[in-house]
Amino acid sequence: MWRNSFAAEYLPAGGSLVHVDGVPFEFPPVCEGSDNIRCAGQFIKVPRDRYDWIHVLAASERRSEDTVDLTFADGSVDAEPLRVSDFWAAPAWFGEVKAFESLAMHYPHHVQRGIPAVMWAQRVAVTRRADLTGILLPRNVAMHIFAVTLQRTEL
Amino acid sequence: MTVETTARTYTISGPEPELWYRDLISCLQATTGAVLARQGADPLAVLGSGWRFLHLPGDVRHEEFYYPCPPDASGTVDLGTVLAPHHALSARWWRPADEEDVWSEVRASLAEDRPVIAAVDNFHLPFRPAYGDVHAAHQVVIYGLDETRGVVHVSDAMPPAFRGAVPIEQFLRSWNSENPTDVQDAFFSDSRIGRRCLDVRLDAVPAPLTPELLGGFLRSNGEHFTTAGPARTGLAGFDRFAAELLERCRAGDAGALRELYPFGWAMQAQASLHGELLRRCGGEWRDPALAGAGRAVETVAHAWTGLRFTGAHGLDDPRAAALDIAHHTTLLRGAYARAVDAVGAVAARL
Repeated sequence: MWRNSFAAEYLPAGGSLVHVDGVPFEFPPVCEGSDNIRCAGQFIKVPRDRYDWIHVLAASERRSEDTVDLTFADGSVDAEPLRVSDFWAAPAWFGEVKAFESLAMHYPHHVQRGIPAVMWAQRVAVTRRADLTGILLPRNVAMHIFAVTLQRTEL
Repeated sequence: MTVETTARTYTISGPEPELWYRDLISCLQATTGAVLARQGADPLAVLGSGWRFLHLPGDVRHEEFYYPCPPDASGTVDLGTVLAPHHALSARWWRPADEEDVWSEVRASLAEDRPVIAAVDNFHLPFRPAYGDVHAAHQVVIYGLDETRGVVHVSDAMPPAFRGAVPIEQFLRSWNSENPTDVQDAFFSDSRIGRRCLDVRLDAVPAPLTPELLGGFLRSNGEHFTTAGPARTGLAGFDRFAAELLERCRAGDAGALRELYPFGWAMQAQASLHGELLRRCGGEWRDPALAGAGRAVETVAHAWTGLRFTGAHGLDDPRAAALDIAHHTTLLRGAYARAVDAVGAVAARL
């Protein structure tokens, strides 16, 4: 909202494969313009399969809790919590892993040292033992998603 | 030969003020917490024991430290009664009485070993991110005044966190700023600072919390939430607030969303502190239901994020934002109801 942003020099290269706590992510483009999804009820289709975890790289403008609706091939839908800590000089309140930290915060007209910007690695449980087909993001503009990785069920 | 000198340096004794901070609080709780900690009180216990909903239509000011507080019968506004309704805390605004010597009261307070909470405009303070860029009404703690060197010693726990000297002239510009309307900050500008200070006093260091003591606080908070009255308090008050917010959005009134952000911060901050306190007590007393009730209250604080930021992003088109505002008031109302239920259940047996 305040047009704050991460400093690119503290982030991985755009489009690169990064691993956070053992989870691979394809890092989004590092560019002017859109490099994340601001949650507004978007639907993400996923390859139909059994999954245990949905891993995300995310940031929130203040601490947020909301729900994602998980859609399954058998027609069932489960609402599961998505919790993301503040990206602005805050601790991992929901127990996330700090994925990347920009030691400087970019403001519209200056670079601010002493206020770190943090991108969190969070996860959402897929509790239903059914094929997942899609993820409906919350209508919550405070939440920003930078990357999603699905972890398949080990059979 | 002796030379008569006038004391021109004033500072509190002992350590500098604590940088008391939580990520959902505002400078109001941070500065008050610093003063409480200096008095030997536990800021979380004092500021986190009360939990209320109160909306005062037409009262919201565009300041980071806004907090709804009705005047008492004499017309006095004492923020202590709403920040810490279960403790003998007073927090009253004052301004320097003498335009020719605006530091008089600050000197006296520091000489009594009491730091001073002052309202400021971030635009003029070099340690704030908004320096030279954005006007915004903020609060800091003054813990020293050195008129010989021409500096004020200031403590500010809000990130990036600062403790140190600021030139007096610079501080005066901030302390007496008009804080004019700033398009970059619709929520905390357009509110004259006017050399305001907040005098925060706690009568005595409170006794440590016990389950019995906390239980009494929680039952009182619960009554507040479940008893409808003429003011917009409790769950019924929230419903009236939410209905009016939606009505104003649908009418295209951006002022409703300008007010939502600072007002919501006050309610969010209090819920976060109350929830943290209950969770902490629940852990210390091995009472998982109390800890869970605390977590439910924290969910209220988190739900305020969705509403506040939906409003902030919708400022340019309140009508278009109305649907999402309705969605988040519904989520927040649900979070309040669950938390009141959870706290009520533990309060009944504490």
